[in-house]
Amino acid sequence: MMDTARILVIDDEEIVLDSCVEILRGDTYQVATAGDGQRGLELMREFRPDLVVVDLKMPGISGFEVLERVRTADPTVVTIVITGYATVSSAVEAMKRGAYDFLPKPFTPDEFRLIIRRAVEKRSLVLETIALRRERELLREHFAAIVSHELTAPLAAVQQNLFALERELAPAATEDQRSRLVRIKTRVAVLLQLIDTWRRGVSIDIDAIKSQCAAVSLRVPIEKAVESVLVHATRKAVEVVTAVPDPAPLVWGDQGTLAEALVNVIGNAVKYSRVGGRVDVTAEPLDGEVRIAVADAGVGIAPEDLPLIFDAFYTAQPGAAGERGSGLGLAVSRRIVEAHGGSITVRSTPGKGSTFVITLPALRDDGPGGPRHGAEPLAASAKEGRR
Amino acid sequence: MTEPKRLLIVDDDPDFVAGIKAILDTAEYETAVAYNPKDGFAALKARRYDLLLLDIMMGRGAEGVMMARKIRKDPALRDLPVLIITGIREQIAFLFPGQAVHPHFVPLDELLEKPVEPELLLEKVGALLQAAEARRQKA
Repeated sequence: MMDTARILVIDDEEIVLDSCVEILRGDTYQVATAGDGQRGLELMREFRPDLVVVDLKMPGISGFEVLERVRTADPTVVTIVITGYATVSSAVEAMKRGAYDFLPKPFTPDEFRLIIRRAVEKRSLVLETIALRRERELLREHFAAIVSHELTAPLAAVQQNLFALERELAPAATEDQRSRLVRIKTRVAVLLQLIDTWRRGVSIDIDAIKSQCAAVSLRVPIEKAVESVLVHATRKAVEVVTAVPDPAPLVWGDQGTLAEALVNVIGNAVKYSRVGGRVDVTAEPLDGEVRIAVADAGVGIAPEDLPLIFDAFYTAQPGAAGERGSGLGLAVSRRIVEAHGGSITVRSTPGKGSTFVITLPALRDDGPGGPRHGAEPLAASAKEGRR
Repeated sequence: MTEPKRLLIVDDDPDFVAGIKAILDTAEYETAVAYNPKDGFAALKARRYDLLLLDIMMGRGAEGVMMARKIRKDPALRDLPVLIITGIREQIAFLFPGQAVHPHFVPLDELLEKPVEPELLLEKVGALLQAAEARRQKA
């Protein structure tokens, strides 16, 4: 319940205003009165009422118009109409327009109190619903971030101590003990990776991508993506070679998610490369499009697996070092690329390697109208994405 | 032998701190710990440290970012090298829109993701300490 409900009474008859104030005296309400619609609407702004009680028949601004303008100003305010000439039809009309209840003149103090109490309860429910809805929205928006942080933090602490223990115990540990430590470490690492991929997967929001789009030089997301796979690549002695023309092709897109899409593809190329291998990342403009190719000379993909690799939760055979994916990375990449109006394809020869090609509409450099060219295919692809 | 370098760890997860501290201790660093930004800042003002290891998500949110901003504003502290160790790389990029993956809080800083492999941790700590030394000699 609300602490003190604020009630605004608008009526041209002073005696009605006085008696309303009188009736509610002693209750925990704050009451303000206005003698006409104009003053009432001013008070609407200054007094910020929870409830507005308005006489339908007044000189100047009519009760119906006051009702309308109160609704426009704040649709959550609960309104009650006073019908002077005891016509049910105008009360019905007012309720059709959103009034919560009506009060036919003359009314007894008890009738008035009852209606006010019910309206205040209604107002409480409205406010509560709004608060809950907002909370739910907030939770949904941040759910992935909250959950992944709550899951990741303890796992990171566990892993950090495993790292430390491994160093401390190394000199004295038996071969078997050492190998068990390594296996636990691997399991925790896989779990951490899984949570991270999951979080990124669920936080891909196509509408958000669209709203964040701007002219992006492909150099930035490519460099970001390569930077984030570098640790893994270095560990496997895999060389990642990028070739981006100068100036780099421009696309209409969201830098962060484009980098994300590339991280998954380049990360995969590293994962399925052999130790000491090489991954080539090239970008080139081609017939109004931009093609980004990521080529590895790794284990390749079996022909029967090719149609499935962009589906969620599909994982290939373990990579060269027994690595497995979460089955989300390429599905996430495809969603991002398609949200940009592009496409992603793959060619592969088992044992020889794979080449992934991401094609995006190029941003034509023709002044302020430029971005529109890119924005159109974006809208079309969002439709496709919902199929 | 020269004096051991003094490091301060500010992180609200005692278990994570234990794992980091154990690794740094084997490398002969002298490490002190604060489990919240307030104590951490007080420790920095109380005596000289050679390096700060700072967590980002602490308390009710990104309190580590606030601490980094305070350090940047403090002329006595802004030359302190900072190693940011955090679990949330993307969210940091989000807090500093327009910047590359690694936002620079202070002139000398580096960013690592939790958990940190011991070799990588020691390498970054060593590199930052060296860079700070080089800056000092230039000045």
